[in-house]
Amino acid sequence: MAIARASRPRLGVFKLASCDGCQLTLLDLEDELLALTGVVEIVHFPEASSAMAPHGPFDLTLVEGSVSTPAHLEELLAIRAASRVLVTIGACATAGGVQALRNFADHEEYIRAVYARPDYIDSLATATPVADHVAVDFELRGCPISKAQLVEVISAYLVGRRPDIPDESVCMECKRAGRVCVVVARDQPCLGPVTHAGCGSLCPRFARGCFGCFGPKERANTAALAEQLRVRGADGPEIVRTFRLLTGWAPEFRAESELHDDD
Amino acid sequence: MTARLSRDGLDRLLSLLKERGHRLIGPTIRDGAIVYDEIDGAKALPIGWTDEQAPGRYRLRRRDDDAYFGYVLGPQGPRNHLTPPIETLVQIRRSSLEIDPAGPPPRARPLALIGVRACELAAMGIQDRVWTGGPFVDPRYADRRQRAFIVAVDCLDPGALCFCASTGTGPEVREGFDLRLTELGDEFLLEVGSPRGLEVAQALETATATDALDKARRRALLAAEETMQGRSRGLDLDGLPELLFANLEHPRWQEVAERCLGCGNCTQVCPTCFCHRVEDQAPLHEEHAERVRSWDSCFTAEHSRIHGAQFRPQTRERYRQWATHKLGSWVSQFGTSGCVGCGRCIAWCPVGIDLTEEIAAIRSAPAEAAATERIVLPPARTYPKVAGDPMRPQLAEVVAVRPELADTVTLHVEPAGPFRHQPGQFCMLSVPEVGEVPISISGQEGSAILHTVRAVGAASRALCELHAGDRVALRGPFGSAWPLEQAKGRNVVVIAGGLGLAPLRGALRELVAHPENYPSVRLLYGARSPADVLYGPELLSWDRSIRFGPETVSTAALAGHVKVHVTVDRGAPGWTGHVGVVTALMRRKTMSPHALYLLCGPEVMMRFVLAELDKAGVPPENVWLSMERNMKCAAGFCGRCQYGPYFICKDGPVFRRDQLAGIFGREGF
Repeated sequence: MAIARASRPRLGVFKLASCDGCQLTLLDLEDELLALTGVVEIVHFPEASSAMAPHGPFDLTLVEGSVSTPAHLEELLAIRAASRVLVTIGACATAGGVQALRNFADHEEYIRAVYARPDYIDSLATATPVADHVAVDFELRGCPISKAQLVEVISAYLVGRRPDIPDESVCMECKRAGRVCVVVARDQPCLGPVTHAGCGSLCPRFARGCFGCFGPKERANTAALAEQLRVRGADGPEIVRTFRLLTGWAPEFRAESELHDDD
Repeated sequence: MTARLSRDGLDRLLSLLKERGHRLIGPTIRDGAIVYDEIDGAKALPIGWTDEQAPGRYRLRRRDDDAYFGYVLGPQGPRNHLTPPIETLVQIRRSSLEIDPAGPPPRARPLALIGVRACELAAMGIQDRVWTGGPFVDPRYADRRQRAFIVAVDCLDPGALCFCASTGTGPEVREGFDLRLTELGDEFLLEVGSPRGLEVAQALETATATDALDKARRRALLAAEETMQGRSRGLDLDGLPELLFANLEHPRWQEVAERCLGCGNCTQVCPTCFCHRVEDQAPLHEEHAERVRSWDSCFTAEHSRIHGAQFRPQTRERYRQWATHKLGSWVSQFGTSGCVGCGRCIAWCPVGIDLTEEIAAIRSAPAEAAATERIVLPPARTYPKVAGDPMRPQLAEVVAVRPELADTVTLHVEPAGPFRHQPGQFCMLSVPEVGEVPISISGQEGSAILHTVRAVGAASRALCELHAGDRVALRGPFGSAWPLEQAKGRNVVVIAGGLGLAPLRGALRELVAHPENYPSVRLLYGARSPADVLYGPELLSWDRSIRFGPETVSTAALAGHVKVHVTVDRGAPGWTGHVGVVTALMRRKTMSPHALYLLCGPEVMMRFVLAELDKAGVPPENVWLSMERNMKCAAGFCGRCQYGPYFICKDGPVFRRDQLAGIFGREGF
């Protein structure tokens, strides 16, 4: 049933600390993009348009990126206040992203080592997910997010239902696609069994283990996976590296990596 | 007919099947494994390759001969093609709700399944019972299955994880094939198993089979069986369902859960697993919404999720569900174990959990006789057949919407086609872009079927927002009915809580309308507050003596056969009726052990009601209750509403209490 509306819901798209890849997924929609502009009014989307209205109000807001500077935090509070439904998109916004690796290290020391003028740098000691700071209505995982899942999230919010984004393992997608398990057949280290589905099992398609871009799945048994890596011959540092990548700051992956981190 | 076929003859056989219009599906090497996929001809077979398997490990290895079928089993099998992992069921046009506006999808080419092993044939037989043996037949599966040409192959070289000898499903291919091949050196022994198999065999160049070749086959099969028996791996199916259900609290379930990744791989490689999701997909730019089913697993949270809650939140409960279903309740549901001994779940488990080891551990140290009530595992039942495609909705027009409570309405819908139901059954109603939900039938008025819906989720909210003249997609009716026939001549007590009155209303209307059949009817109804009392005016019309509120007629009870007692958890100004839970009402009355009791309400309420009935000495045979789980297909295919040995959708929702002994109220079910 087509939902006829007098005024279209207002969409805002924002970014914090991130690479813009998830916003590009939105621009990448192609066929769906025209349909999207027919059903929502894109009010603020700097990646796509110079017409800006950062103060909203927004019916649906997509936020990319992690909170990495004091300015991010301030901006985020304003975004939340202007948004009816706030959806975070991507590994940075939902788990801190690759930049959250700094959370495991000494932030001050890094600044001193890397920048000629450390005093120019005004960043927080940690890069953290949006949900650590404001209420989030839905977290869409991925690095980057999946096009199909983004359409699903937008479609769902347009008709007022919960997005149908299964919190199952990557293995489920792998098996539905008829791929051969890279753990069993190739002895690859693979986070697939504990990682949230959504990527379409991209890496196993190319005979590589999963890097965990979508973060932990529901009830991720990371201890059992770490043991499997160990039995396969991985040492502590390798286990730490396996869990600590794009979503390494996600609580389950972080806790597991810390168990194997002797530093 | 038995014959000899040369190695070249195999290629000719496959070409012939292709010429006859079949799509060849067979073993072929891809990505480091022998997968089961479309092939072009015999050259695509894994000639000269075999596979080595261990728990969590699979490797290809060169053989020292050129055998076509010298491997054991890959991760996939006929299941991947007979029940595709993702399949569109129907298209629904957004604007009009028209179903399959472009007509039914074109019929795919018939399959030819090449190299099917005995365990897989057994698995196909099991899948047949799932998809065609219940009240409904899935026409998609049935069509693919009936038209599939099966070239089976005897297993002469069982793998290290095979245990079909112990499950009685191999290694010999005995039945269910069109043609059977036994690869003996550089030729095949060919056996015909069906008229269409004969037709194909006669078109081949074959030679007469020799006694020697037949003897060689027997010897090789015997050796294969002995090889398996010589290994420790096996599954003793004897008394296994009872053993597992007597050990539901065994510590081993927790131990295995600590190793289990909960990834679902075991269920995705299992040739008999059938659970799936059914969801509507409505991408922005498409004119049609699609209803799609895709493989699911009892290891996902989604599998047992309902109203935001999960019935099996723990991995321990999920593993237990899988194992007790596969090896236990499967027998009640389908008359056979769900395990065919193929060993795939062991090979393709990333951490190498071995089902046979887990079961052996429980068998070797069963728990002490459990203090909890034993679950009754009934024998498999046969269902009266219902014609038609249960997954295809029909359009129904909303002819009236009656507001009931602040968040609850009754939809009066008129299905476009014929519709016969019994009180207690339910329908699947959907607003296609939003979703489909099971809703009990709460009565019939003229040709309108009544559904009382509370806005709790997106789909039910969308249903509540419909207006007269709108259309909904409807499937059903489904499920079992209240035992009105058995209730004749007996005193009937109906106990309902909250919205639980809705599935009972159709039955109540029958009971009220027929005093000649039902001499005494008593309804005990509990709601949260006066504002939550459902069907107030109708209750009053049944029993004008109800103390209800200021408007209540306060005359002495009229001499009717119906007595209605209403209670609310919390009173409100003007409420002059009972305050308290429904069990308090029960304690004020005598609960006759001989009356028939019909119950529906939240599970916690029913639990307390059952305890009261126990105190009153009411035997379980006199108590019927309506249950709810995660019903997605409603036709007995998707496995989501399993409840111990039952499917709520086809064995329930109305159960006699003794059917649920040991299950009702138990965590993880």
